[in-house]
Amino acid sequence: MPKLGCATKIIVFSLVIILALFAVGFVFGPLGAGFFGIKVPSFLAVPKPHIALPSERLFEVAGFPITNTLIAAWLSIIVLAVLFYVCTRKMKLIPGKLQNLAEMAVEALLSFVKSVAGEKHARLLFPVVATIFIYVITNAYLALLPFFGTIVVTGQEGTAVPLFRSANTDINVPLSIAVMSFIFVEFWGMKSLGTFRYLGEFFNFGQIGRGVKELFMGKIRPAITNIAFGFINLFVGMLEIFSHLIRIISFTFRLFGNMTAGEMLLLVSAFLIPLIFTIPFYGLELLIGFIQALIFAGLTLVFGTIAVAPMHEE
Amino acid sequence: MGGFAKLGINLPLLISFIISFVILFALLGLFLYKPVMKMLDERSKRIKEGMEQAEATKEEYAHAEEEVKKLISKARDDGQALVNQATQTGERLREEAREGARKEAQVIVDRTRAELEGERDRIIDDLRREFVDISISAAEKVIMETLDKERHRKLIEEALEESATFREN
Repeated sequence: MPKLGCATKIIVFSLVIILALFAVGFVFGPLGAGFFGIKVPSFLAVPKPHIALPSERLFEVAGFPITNTLIAAWLSIIVLAVLFYVCTRKMKLIPGKLQNLAEMAVEALLSFVKSVAGEKHARLLFPVVATIFIYVITNAYLALLPFFGTIVVTGQEGTAVPLFRSANTDINVPLSIAVMSFIFVEFWGMKSLGTFRYLGEFFNFGQIGRGVKELFMGKIRPAITNIAFGFINLFVGMLEIFSHLIRIISFTFRLFGNMTAGEMLLLVSAFLIPLIFTIPFYGLELLIGFIQALIFAGLTLVFGTIAVAPMHEE
Repeated sequence: MGGFAKLGINLPLLISFIISFVILFALLGLFLYKPVMKMLDERSKRIKEGMEQAEATKEEYAHAEEEVKKLISKARDDGQALVNQATQTGERLREEAREGARKEAQVIVDRTRAELEGERDRIIDDLRREFVDISISAAEKVIMETLDKERHRKLIEEALEESATFREN
């Protein structure tokens, strides 16, 4: 038998434990129990995941429901505010560890914004893009902490509901961010191009007006051409408006779908094969949280960049 | 609205989330973007300033070096000029000394020659006088008669003069 080093021993021991945990979870969990016809032991009996798309209400304040996702979102906000308050409380030219963290985050996001929007518009677009990224990724990562979904309280309807639920799995959260993204994209466009010029891209009456004027001046042929193309312009403008509104929906459902699916994946995997089978999915969720935050922020950035750039050279 | 409600879309809740987002936006702006951006700008400003200063110092140094080079070259030129001048002065002094010595020597030689000539003339005169006296006394002795002494002298002088012109010719 080959002589085992200390490190090798630890690795082998850990592997054995992991395999044992996996095997126990597989055989005695609901999946294996159903397969082999054994009764699930009580210490492995995970309550059947209750999957509800709308977030659960805890109570209501002046007509505004307070849901478990809202509490999770506030938790994210508090965590972020405290973290960055501590990081930037005493700003020094030579940064300490905490300040470095804040600067690293800002610099990474700022260079990302600069790479897309260019040096000129980066400062305008940066705060919203960065906030979206930080908000989405914090919501996603906090939801992976153990107290999410495990602390159960009595909800408004008298049923048992978790106190914290991943904020991104409430469709109102992606929708609220998408609405903010939409508002800011239009705001940037108006700010950098001028309100009338920016809106003129959507409600393009210029050519029709010219055609009508020519009609009164008696130039029939160019008048008809101009009116026809004017209507096409109007139609294109309406398509543009439509596409801007559609963005809200695609933003919303992309994030909502990904996050809800990830949540369900974790719940179901933890239910079917208890103990450690869920761990790889947590890694997957880390990746997905990052990607979704990047996509949400990145698309907002791209739309914003398109909005601040002159659309049609005329 | 049935489908939306099933998904969970709820206007008051949506408004709460939008307000939450705005609050987060404000908080991040206050605690993260503003101070960090300020610091980044400050730092880049500092770095730019430092680099500019370094550039200026380098330029100044190059300038000073050039100045020093110029000074050294000027000093060398000055030194060279001084040496040249000194050499010239020395040369002149030597020349003057030489000239003076030669003149002095000439003077001495001239004086000596004049003295010698004077001496010679005197000696010649003496000799002549002696000779005349001798001649007279000889003639006296020969004739044994005292002639008119003055007349004799004149005769002899004439004779000598004649011989002198003869000799000079």
